[in-house]
Amino acid sequence: MAEIIFDGVTKIFGDDIRAVDDLSLAIAEGEFMVFVGPSGCGKTTALRMLAGLEDITSGSLSIGGRIVNNVLPKHRDVAMVFQNYALYPHMSVERNIGFALKIRGDSKDEIKRKVDEAATILHLNDFLDRRPKALSGGQRQRVAMGRAIVRNPQAFLMDEPLSNLDAKLRVEMRLEIARIQRLLGVATVYVTHDQVEAMTMGDRVAVMREGKLQQVDTPQDLYDRPANEFVAGFMGSPPMNLIRCHASAGNDRVAVHFGHQVIELPWNYTSSHALPESGLEVVVGVRPEDVLIVDGASTNTLETRVERREALGAEILVHLSLLDTTTSSTSDGELSRPVSLVAKMGPRTKVSVGDILYVQLSPEHAHFFDATNGDSLRTRP
Amino acid sequence: MTTLATPPQESEREEAPPAPPSQARRHVGRWILFGMMLCVAVIMLYPFWVMIITSLKSETQFLSGGGFSWLSWKTLTDNIPIFQEVLSSTIVCSASIFVILCVGLPAGFAFSKLRFRASTTIFLGLVSAMMVPLQAILMPEFVNVTKLGLTGGYFGAILVYAALGTPFSTFLFTTYFRGVPDELIEAGIVDGLGYVGVLGRLVVPIAVPAIATVTVLQFIQIWDDLLVGLLFIQNTSERPITVGLAVLAAGRTTSIPALMAGSLVSALPAMLVYLGFQRYLVKGLTMGIDR
Repeated sequence: MAEIIFDGVTKIFGDDIRAVDDLSLAIAEGEFMVFVGPSGCGKTTALRMLAGLEDITSGSLSIGGRIVNNVLPKHRDVAMVFQNYALYPHMSVERNIGFALKIRGDSKDEIKRKVDEAATILHLNDFLDRRPKALSGGQRQRVAMGRAIVRNPQAFLMDEPLSNLDAKLRVEMRLEIARIQRLLGVATVYVTHDQVEAMTMGDRVAVMREGKLQQVDTPQDLYDRPANEFVAGFMGSPPMNLIRCHASAGNDRVAVHFGHQVIELPWNYTSSHALPESGLEVVVGVRPEDVLIVDGASTNTLETRVERREALGAEILVHLSLLDTTTSSTSDGELSRPVSLVAKMGPRTKVSVGDILYVQLSPEHAHFFDATNGDSLRTRP
Repeated sequence: MTTLATPPQESEREEAPPAPPSQARRHVGRWILFGMMLCVAVIMLYPFWVMIITSLKSETQFLSGGGFSWLSWKTLTDNIPIFQEVLSSTIVCSASIFVILCVGLPAGFAFSKLRFRASTTIFLGLVSAMMVPLQAILMPEFVNVTKLGLTGGYFGAILVYAALGTPFSTFLFTTYFRGVPDELIEAGIVDGLGYVGVLGRLVVPIAVPAIATVTVLQFIQIWDDLLVGLLFIQNTSERPITVGLAVLAAGRTTSIPALMAGSLVSALPAMLVYLGFQRYLVKGLTMGIDR
């Protein structure tokens, strides 16, 4: 078990493709760290640098206090689980799991004992004689895990290990991996593009975009206090509503103008956010569950029309357009298009397409972002 | 107790629904295909049949058309050291294939899985060597091998065969390994192997179909070759079977039954090698294509 420290780590492919840009991050002993981000954000490259499968262009990377920039993968004492499992097809499950120990020179008895131990943890005892091709996806995944845990390494590295499984099995294996990691207490770096996996598995989550670390925090803090517009939009399903509007903080009130519609938010926002005093453009973020339907119009409500209704069983997602506005949601790009909002509602809420609804943005849970660089305007945690 | 199935009555036959036209067409298509394959099989196997029948006749019987005799086999063994020549061919073949595999397999692994400068250019250069016919380079090869003093025994021929077979084997191994996921190699590296370890303990075991393909194709090519054996193996005691048969055929009077017996001995090992490895052949040749 060991601490892992990325200190200004950069990876440049070719002449100018910065896959990872100045990544600084410390992963504590026994911590489950998830790297999450869209395709091409550099999360896998960061993991491969940690495994020793990619050279580091600049910066330093240490495992257990030892700089490993120029250390061969086999001397780093890390174990990796790959996306497509990468099981050795010509070996039985038992040999697959014990292979690294055999290379290390452990005795036969020791290998047998450790393989049996891992097989028990992973419920693989009945499959030890089988070849990988005779196993199901979930079983193969467990063998890949077994190959990693049997070594008792300083760190586990997992590169989207669940992406080849079906949805149900993915949920099961998610719990299984988290259980094993907590049981063994080994520092783990887990790469995924699935923010649900990130939220449910990680002690902390590092969100990456275009090679840069955007924010690293606990899943709940990422959700509640995103550092910028990207994190706010990426974490959460359905994503946060992000709306360009004009805000002004003055005369003991925070007024937010959505075109001709105006709502007022509590004055205490000014103590935690650096809000502009006179109507500058900002991005307001509201989670779908914080869009509340109210009975009638008031000073804090927005008039909307139901454009689409998605019944998901346990909840209904209602797509709303703001009436009489010239603002836009940030994903629309162009101004003067109607603002769309997604609201999460109870399964028995009676709404139909075309209905006019009055909604309120939960006054305690609004987020404000700089309209030019996307950074959060929050000044206090 | 057994129950005999009774043929269907006339009325039952009438009631039975007619087979769909597409199914009937499929049946016809299958029979046509079967007929064509039978024709091909006859064309391919007929020479072997003639070879076997002819080798079991004396010269007189061969000319008259009937009879059975082992005389041709005696003539064959009296005239040429057939078993020694089979052994020579086996030695040359095995050693050449060993060299081809030892060079082609690591080269294919390197071209497909390692990143190094100008790898594509080198690979293209190597593959283009496959296009050069043997006859075009035979004389320069002969001069070089003679200068090295290797035209007497097996070594010169082994070198030439290995040089001729390596480009193809490298190409085939490269194509094959491109179909092997990179993660498998990386898993081995993270597990504690170096590249040599990965090659020996992971790559070779999963490359059995490709190894079998190279072995069969090169075996047939080298075993059947006359030209290199004739030029590069000048010791008569070490000449291969193809040269032996050529000597037999070039005699003042050629015994056709004895020649057929020799040809049969010559053809059998290649056929056995092919039959032994055929289940790997298709896989070895096609893997990597669908990537």
